[in-house]
Amino acid sequence: MSSHKLDSKVPSGSIDQKWNQHKFQSKMINPSNKRKYKIIVVGTGLAGSSAAASLAQLGYEVSAFCIQDSPRRAHSIAAQGGINAAKNYQNDGDSVQRLFYDTIKGGDFRAREANVYRLAQVSTSIIDQCVAQGVPFAREYGGTLSNRSFGGAQVSRTFYARGQTGQQLLLGAYSALMRMVGLGKVKLYPRREMTELVLVDGHAKGAVFKNLITGEYESHAADAVILATGGYGNVYYLSTNAMACNTSANWAAYKKGAFFGNPCYTQIHPTCIPVHGENQAKLTLMSESLRNDGRVWVPKKVGDTRPPDQIPAEERDYYLERIYPSFGNLAPRDISSRQAKNMCDEGRGVGSSGLAVYLDFKDAIQRDGKSVVEGKYGNLFDMYQRITAENPYDVPMRIFPAVHYTMGGLWVDYNLMSTIPGLHVLGEANFSDHGANRLGASALMQGLADGYFVIPYTIGNYLAASASKKIETNHEAFKEATEASLIRENKFLNIKGSKGAMEYHKDLGKIMWDSVGMSRSEAGLKKAISDIQKLRHEFHQNVNVPGSAKGFNPELIRAFRVSDFLELGEVMARDALERNESCGGHFRDEFQTEDGEAKRDDENFCHVAAWEFQGVDKAPNRHQEKLEFENVKLSTRSYK
Amino acid sequence: MSSETGDAAPSGPKFSFLILQTSVGRKYLVAITGLLSCGFLLGHLAGNLLLLMGPDSFNSYAHKLTSTSLIYVAEAILGVIFLVHLGLALKLNWENKMARPQKYVKKKTFGPGENIFSSTMPYTGIAILVFLVLHLTQFKFGSVYMTQVEGVEMRDVYRTVIEFFKNIWSLVWYCVAMSLLAMHLAHGVQSSFQSLGIRSKQIGQWLKCGSRIFAFGVPAGFIFLSIWCHLQ
Amino acid sequence: MNNSNKNNMTIHLKVWRQASNKEKGKMESYTLSDVSPDMSFLEMLDQLNLKLMKEKIEPVSFDHDCREGICGMCSLMINGHAHGPQLLTTTCQLHMREYKDGDEIVIEPWRSRAFPVVKDLVVDRSAFDKIMAAGGFVSVNTGSAPDANGTAIAKVVADEAMDAAQCIGCGACVAACENGSAMLFVAAKVSQLSLLPQGQPEAASRVKSMVAKMDEMGFGNCTNHSECMAACPKGISVEHIARMNRDFLKSSLLQ
Repeated sequence: MSSHKLDSKVPSGSIDQKWNQHKFQSKMINPSNKRKYKIIVVGTGLAGSSAAASLAQLGYEVSAFCIQDSPRRAHSIAAQGGINAAKNYQNDGDSVQRLFYDTIKGGDFRAREANVYRLAQVSTSIIDQCVAQGVPFAREYGGTLSNRSFGGAQVSRTFYARGQTGQQLLLGAYSALMRMVGLGKVKLYPRREMTELVLVDGHAKGAVFKNLITGEYESHAADAVILATGGYGNVYYLSTNAMACNTSANWAAYKKGAFFGNPCYTQIHPTCIPVHGENQAKLTLMSESLRNDGRVWVPKKVGDTRPPDQIPAEERDYYLERIYPSFGNLAPRDISSRQAKNMCDEGRGVGSSGLAVYLDFKDAIQRDGKSVVEGKYGNLFDMYQRITAENPYDVPMRIFPAVHYTMGGLWVDYNLMSTIPGLHVLGEANFSDHGANRLGASALMQGLADGYFVIPYTIGNYLAASASKKIETNHEAFKEATEASLIRENKFLNIKGSKGAMEYHKDLGKIMWDSVGMSRSEAGLKKAISDIQKLRHEFHQNVNVPGSAKGFNPELIRAFRVSDFLELGEVMARDALERNESCGGHFRDEFQTEDGEAKRDDENFCHVAAWEFQGVDKAPNRHQEKLEFENVKLSTRSYK
Repeated sequence: MSSETGDAAPSGPKFSFLILQTSVGRKYLVAITGLLSCGFLLGHLAGNLLLLMGPDSFNSYAHKLTSTSLIYVAEAILGVIFLVHLGLALKLNWENKMARPQKYVKKKTFGPGENIFSSTMPYTGIAILVFLVLHLTQFKFGSVYMTQVEGVEMRDVYRTVIEFFKNIWSLVWYCVAMSLLAMHLAHGVQSSFQSLGIRSKQIGQWLKCGSRIFAFGVPAGFIFLSIWCHLQ
Repeated sequence: MNNSNKNNMTIHLKVWRQASNKEKGKMESYTLSDVSPDMSFLEMLDQLNLKLMKEKIEPVSFDHDCREGICGMCSLMINGHAHGPQLLTTTCQLHMREYKDGDEIVIEPWRSRAFPVVKDLVVDRSAFDKIMAAGGFVSVNTGSAPDANGTAIAKVVADEAMDAAQCIGCGACVAACENGSAMLFVAAKVSQLSLLPQGQPEAASRVKSMVAKMDEMGFGNCTNHSECMAACPKGISVEHIARMNRDFLKSSLLQ
């Protein structure tokens, strides 16, 4: 249990001065020298695009890589609700301190204080930056920016652009990136899958990518590598993540020695459209903003199969309002999700599968009129109707929780550098700011904070100190990495088994959802570990990967990704098993209060668990970074 | 942040080359020449309405028009307008064909601007060109009769016109040509406003309505006159 | 809920197969049974691919990612309609309940000189990125922005900018246009930034650069049929094209 490697590098001083002090004390690189440093940015979502653009503006030579055909398609684009910032434009008592506190508390006191404070501090600059880029945020008639309350916050600090905030913010960052591409300051490499991280003398000095069109491997050397490759929610197969979201780049880094922080912290979002059948490939999220006006309920009676309009009010259980009178339908995501599961476990779920609860707009329509409701949620209602063929203006929506976001990720220090020197990790890909549960509208904030306002300052600390030695792609390490990729690829192509990678993915997803999902138990987790090991073994014996190594072969890439998920899933289960407490999105059946709420163990688990790779079929080492709370009092998170 | 990138912003091509070098610029020219031709049509129709006033009025008008040397300048300008309109439209049409070398096996159309008028623009355009050539040979360079109005010797164009339309087949041909012109204008006029950027949410419907009235009204006027001539 | 539901359909597919950009392609026919009406169109293609893999036939490549209509990755000309027959809907949001048992569905890639086929139904849309790199931005370096509420923007203006900004860059406008024109895509960005005060300083150079790049990429010309608007899954109006035309004229004449 050594943790000598986990130096969080949090600066000393009072919390509100840490970041300023750190910026001042950070090493500087002369503007004319910056162009001598080459930086690889993998991923072009909010964090990657904003980082690549900002670093190129500073003068660094940047290469940006993405798996899609265009950087604009990264999954940040799908975020609907909004982005938080402590602007206090509404004069409702918001402040950096309050955003900081809400985020720490929302994360169930499992995030690093200094990081979260910095996030709250830079949040205001993000909004300024985005508006200057031409992001069309919603506005009031007077022309000022509009805000709404979101995801369990008691102030209105969420900025939004209809139901497409992520899209607009990403297109803003993308436009900044494309500007730098046009100026020749960023080289763009779309349709590239990172297969190996290249280390030289223990430092990240480049990566090997598979060109998804030609199938060739390409080596890229750099002075530092940034991973902004998103989350790993697709380990559950069905999630709200895009189909291509994967853990492979992170996993390549993990296998080269980057510690993986809190892998078991996953967020299950309460308002998704329920699963319709076996062939489903993807779940669709309905913005959480729906809970501002929709009321969540199930029948009081177990096994009540009457259509919703025939269940009278007194026979309905508006359970969120009942259990959490002060937050009601706006209770945080982890709590709302778990209660939905509890209702279904009690046999009070609705719909043909019994795995859904109602989200009812009847009262809102009666109170405000259909046109008002349509104005607020029209596009979401249309989306719901398109998928389910039901009209939510007439019948209540059916919703069910789905995997949405992963708070865990590669461990990083205050500089956002992983345990591998030179390897920096931004956005959802790192573990840092959300603790055990993320609040609504915080993911966009973190991605852009990391990319626009943190990494441009902190990367200099590494580069100035350690990046003097130039490595070229003819270095032995690149040959080895390319060779390793080729060997792996040939292995997959030569198995010629009988089952597609997608089917293995589906099997893995079922294990993960059942045992490493909304509630976890020791027995279930142990079984999951052995089931995953078995499945992984079978996968490597029997997977069917058609086509060849050359040319465009999506099934081969899918096999890569599923193979990595099969390893990650086990580490997640191990992490969940070791964390003998319930906190945020991690709920262990054994650790709950009498009324079924999560029971934290601050004495033994107020730490980050960071896992160190030891070999695919060997148990990884668990390291700890103790979390010190100097500015907030650890309290039981109550939303009652 | 340094201003490493501050002054390197890409600037667009210079104006002098721009208009003809860009698709949007060429569309302006097609639109402007089209609208100018519409102006000519309107003038032509107004002049032709003098047929209703009798031979002397019409012949004097025609004489006045042709007896000044400015007519050559006007004709030259008209010729250039037609040629630019035609040439650019053909070039754009060719580029459009080139933009999709591999055709769809199955393709449906359902755009609100997609109709028989818009999809036949090149054909109606060519038909109008043919009509134009014949029209010039039939009238401007057609049978020449002479007459005197108030002691002035002049060409009796009135008689040429009436004689021409007395023939039922000539009338039919003319009416068909005018219908094709109406079709061309039905898309062309409103499309010109879009190309020139004049259309907007506020005046879009008005422009569309006005364009349609013009597109059908002017050819209808010509058709009316041709039938009137036939009945003389 | 399961595969052998009595509502399940048999669908006859005609799919464009092309091994790579260098090889010639052709239409291939496949029949897929047990298609549930609740499936999305792309889940139907997933099922086709599983079937093909079992039969040792190489699966059909198609682009897709978010499957919720926002990333713009999915494409497909379905029975002659870009993104299928439903208005304001991307292919990934299309559901098989739009079809009935025994239907034939013809699936082709986007066709445009500027979008060369990569494989089967996958095309290369990087021409769009090149247009964006030519001017689809506001040149503001990170950190140099004034306070977000420093400039008031009328709600109607912000809303109209948002209408244009909704473009997902899928290329349906190009695919549906009889001329393979990219005017709606370019206009959406030009219009968004020209409506907002932040876009004003570069308004003239932006429209000129983006139009010039659009032409260079080999797209066709706009003939105002509005086919693009009808195919656009986000319903972006051709009024934005008019605005771009206006801006282009203004910038050509005045700046």
